[in-house]
Amino acid sequence: MIWVVFALAGIGTYLIRLSGIALLANEERIPPLVRRALRMIGPAAMGAIVGNSLLLDHGAWRPFGVWHVASLVALAVGVWRRSLGLTLLAGAAAFAALLLLGL
Amino acid sequence: MTSRAAFLDGAKDVAGLAPGVAVFGLSFGALIRARGIDPIAGAMSSVIVGAGAGQTAAVEVVVAGGTVIVAVLSALIVNARFALYSAALAPMFGRFSRRWRYGLAWLVSDQTVGLYGRGQARWRTPALQQYYMLGVTLPMRTSWVGGTFAGVLLGPVVPGSWQIGFIVPLVFIALALPGIRGLPEVVAAVTGLVAVVALRGLPLGLNIVAAALLGMTAGLLVRPRFAPAPPAHADSADST
Repeated sequence: MIWVVFALAGIGTYLIRLSGIALLANEERIPPLVRRALRMIGPAAMGAIVGNSLLLDHGAWRPFGVWHVASLVALAVGVWRRSLGLTLLAGAAAFAALLLLGL
Repeated sequence: MTSRAAFLDGAKDVAGLAPGVAVFGLSFGALIRARGIDPIAGAMSSVIVGAGAGQTAAVEVVVAGGTVIVAVLSALIVNARFALYSAALAPMFGRFSRRWRYGLAWLVSDQTVGLYGRGQARWRTPALQQYYMLGVTLPMRTSWVGGTFAGVLLGPVVPGSWQIGFIVPLVFIALALPGIRGLPEVVAAVTGLVAVVALRGLPLGLNIVAAALLGMTAGLLVRPRFAPAPPAHADSADST
């Protein structure tokens, strides 16, 4: 099943990657509403996944703790530096430090 | 000779970005092991799909007991932003040969799409721009795949791997931020976050799909205060 998931996700993602390149002539533009929708879907989906994986644990509320604090650290560093690598490292470092402190 | 220089120029432009992608790949590989996903399939997903956020979304839905369709749908929703990149690249790629165009399209990622303007400014002919874009995209994909393979191999020995699930919210926080450029994006992200919790009763990971669509709708309802002037090379460059 997992192979089918990745195969279909790969084909679909490639078609999305190809969409503009294959369909749009040089001067054409995506309609403004579609463009805005495409710009919104990324943050919306990512916000949903953050909520699902951080605030919930197997479908129930996750008790406030290390996960939340480390996420806030990552959020702060991400807003400050806007770097994928630094945000990941800051979040991971905060998470590891908090675990080591036994929280 | 100059095609080599164009390739190296592109590679130099992403040298600072590659370590971040490798770290992400490492974590994704470790996540694969921790979630009990077939390690070979998980490692190959970085070659086949080549979009970490989408791969992670699919894995999370599968782990939650979702069907193939919901898992694929979640990945494609997360990857829908690539349509914008594709549109932005259309003028440049339209002058490439068919083989290059279709090959490079498969390699483009969040971090590399923004560099096409630089490539066009520095390298005048499409033939050289092809090599510049290959120099930009190939090292990034290689770092992603290499990081994933290393993570899959090392996953079981990573200390504290029982907590590796934290990488999921962490990665999506890191990936979402560059795409948030104004109030509409903030509203979309926060709505998605709140909705997914409110809809937690939905089975099979459907709460993620539903929350993403609700967040998108909420973002569309917020008018940006200033309509951005259409930039010379379409937009996208600085979105996620």
